Amino acid sequence: MASRPIYFISTVLIMAFCYVFFLTFFNEGQPNKMPIGVVDLDNSSLSRQFTRNLEATQQAEIVMRLNSHKEAREEMQRGNIYAFVEIKRHFATDAITNRRPAITFYINDGYLIAGSLVSKGITYMSAATSIGMERKILRAKGIDESRIKGIIQPIVLDTHLIGNPWANYGTYLLNVILPGILQLMVLMMTAFPIGVEYKERTSREWLENSGNSMFAALTGKLLPYTFIFTIIGVIGNVLLYKYMHYPLNSSIGWMFLATFFLVIASQAIGVLFIGITPVLRDGVTFAGLFGTLGVTFAGSTFPVEQMPTGTRILSDLFPIHHYFNIYVDQALNGIEIHYSFISYMIMLSFLILPFFVFNRLKNAAISQNYPIK
Amino acid sequence: MTASHKKSFHKKIISILKDILNVLKIEFQTMFKDRGVVIMLVLAPLAYPILYCSLYKNETLIDVPLAAVDCSQSPQSRELLRHIDANQNVAIVSKYSTLAEAKQAYNEKRVHGVVYIPADFNKKLNTGDQTTVSIYCDISSFMYYRIINQACSNCVLAMSNQIQINRLNATGITGESAKIVANPIPYNGVVLYNESAGFASFLMPAILILIIQQTLFLGIGMITGTSREENRFHVLVSSSVHRGGTVRVIIGKSICYFIMFAAWSFYILELVPRIFNLPHIGIPFDVMMLMVPFLLATVFFSMSVSVFLPNRETGLVIFMFMSLILLFLSGVSWPQSNINGFWRAFAWMFPATCGVQGYIKINTLGADLRHVSFEYVSLWLQSIVYFATTCWAYYWQIKKSANRVRSVKDKVI
Repeated sequence: MASRPIYFISTVLIMAFCYVFFLTFFNEGQPNKMPIGVVDLDNSSLSRQFTRNLEATQQAEIVMRLNSHKEAREEMQRGNIYAFVEIKRHFATDAITNRRPAITFYINDGYLIAGSLVSKGITYMSAATSIGMERKILRAKGIDESRIKGIIQPIVLDTHLIGNPWANYGTYLLNVILPGILQLMVLMMTAFPIGVEYKERTSREWLENSGNSMFAALTGKLLPYTFIFTIIGVIGNVLLYKYMHYPLNSSIGWMFLATFFLVIASQAIGVLFIGITPVLRDGVTFAGLFGTLGVTFAGSTFPVEQMPTGTRILSDLFPIHHYFNIYVDQALNGIEIHYSFISYMIMLSFLILPFFVFNRLKNAAISQNYPIK
Repeated sequence: MTASHKKSFHKKIISILKDILNVLKIEFQTMFKDRGVVIMLVLAPLAYPILYCSLYKNETLIDVPLAAVDCSQSPQSRELLRHIDANQNVAIVSKYSTLAEAKQAYNEKRVHGVVYIPADFNKKLNTGDQTTVSIYCDISSFMYYRIINQACSNCVLAMSNQIQINRLNATGITGESAKIVANPIPYNGVVLYNESAGFASFLMPAILILIIQQTLFLGIGMITGTSREENRFHVLVSSSVHRGGTVRVIIGKSICYFIMFAAWSFYILELVPRIFNLPHIGIPFDVMMLMVPFLLATVFFSMSVSVFLPNRETGLVIFMFMSLILLFLSGVSWPQSNINGFWRAFAWMFPATCGVQGYIKINTLGADLRHVSFEYVSLWLQSIVYFATTCWAYYWQIKKSANRVRSVKDKVI
């Protein structure tokens, strides 16, 4: 195993790189101060006041002042700004003379995440401006201060996010992406070391060294990887929950267990792939394609239950999907462990898969009748 | 120039073209003989876009199940719940009398959110006070949170505005002036380029470009790894002794990949978005113009790196995970403006980053080629640099394998 650099690279180095990459990439939590533009055709003290208020939002930062709608739209098409606010001429005079001047803002939802966050900031500030104006009018009309609140905003909506109250983007993504990449690497580094024995025609010795038992041969081959990948996965858990302090509302031990099961379940699928075609390149290709799909099927980007029918059943074939369910129940929501029992059990049941290909692998190991490339 | 000079010059050109054509032919033959390469360079680019588009076919969430806890049990609270239920994105599937019961339903994953209306909701509305409605959202996927929050806040706002007018009327402010007081500075947000805030419309364009780069990269890695494994590198130089042979090999091979992927690019970037109704307001000619340097940069980038892959499977094992990294580096989900300098520079080395940005700007935002000059120039720059590195890497590899052959011959003699 230590003989070729690929073994070290694809077990330790790649995962270490991913940890460093994602933790430094999302360290902000939520993207803040994204660039927006302003088209202020009025340029009055009121409109300037409004743009100053916009500067105060957490999400947006005014990086350019533009002279026309067309100019602003082109900047948006260049990708330099994610939104722009347009303030019409006579904005201030219209406001004072009760002609209800409108503020219009244009959002680039081609970049959905930037667009919706910036939109949230601008909407909030526009509403605040309007409410401030309304408060002024009501006071001028001599309405009692205690009643103003009820008039301005009769119903307040109070939104609670279960488990991730700060809507941290890293929490939401890394809890799926990192185990997803772990699953990918485990899958490939199961198919690869086994496949190499067949490709280099050493499979017979490999089997003989294990007393002609496929079970012993596979266990001996894969146990070191189980060990290494579990350690790496657990380090990942510690990084997320202890170092980054991402929400963890149950014992970290349950996540360790889920990580361990993710590793062994992925190994079982890896064996299945290389067992179906004991050809190195096919086994690795399938493992790789399956592994990259895993992140989609986990269900965090787009919920699986809202995907087309059939996809839901497919998603059950991916250990990462069950890992994700455990993460949601345990780390995020912190509900009783019995809710997750079934997810753990399904992950364990993947261990049956290798038994279907034992004979195939054994025969192929002895007869060596598969092409090597 | 004398006639004989001219003739030899002609001959030289013809010999170069012959060499290039020969390499091209050999490359196409080896490609289609190799099942693994066919999977990577033909099957994957054709099937992957369809697979991903079907998975992300639903642009938004429909009827996300919610639970309602209505402690007020008043006409107003029922009206609010009815309005929320009428929203196409969410559906109130069950009603409970306590939050604890609703939490139970949430834990069992029967609902993804809870709307809680307090007991004094009705009373406060009647006395002119401010009241609060609480919602609890599942945030295991940001989509749930966004959809639930949006649907509920729209309904609450609509009801709130109506009550506001009534209360203003009660203070003697009526008619048009009530409207003015209620909303002195109206604002409206206009969503551009992805009007329905669709998930596929936003993510798929980036995935499509990544499919092109990654299949091309892994395919070339497979081909080169195989030839290194079998030590056939020198074979590809038709007359390995003469100078300039390396460049001919590189040009021949790259034309082969380029032609193939020019066709795939048209299919992936122009046909697939039309079939699956993804954004496609860009000018197809501009997209293809951007693809020329993108494909060249990708081909040469892949050829440069692939020389270092000792076996046919190595590239797959080592670089498969990069697809995910590149998706984030491309700056489509996490905005490019918020990626720190180091990773931005790192991202810039990969053709996919400029490819994704350029394609989204042209195809989704309707920019034309001059708007994406940064990406366009960058890709040409990458093509030139990676062409140079490819030449160097091939030259080095061919020399090395030629030496090896010579030393083997020496030993035999």
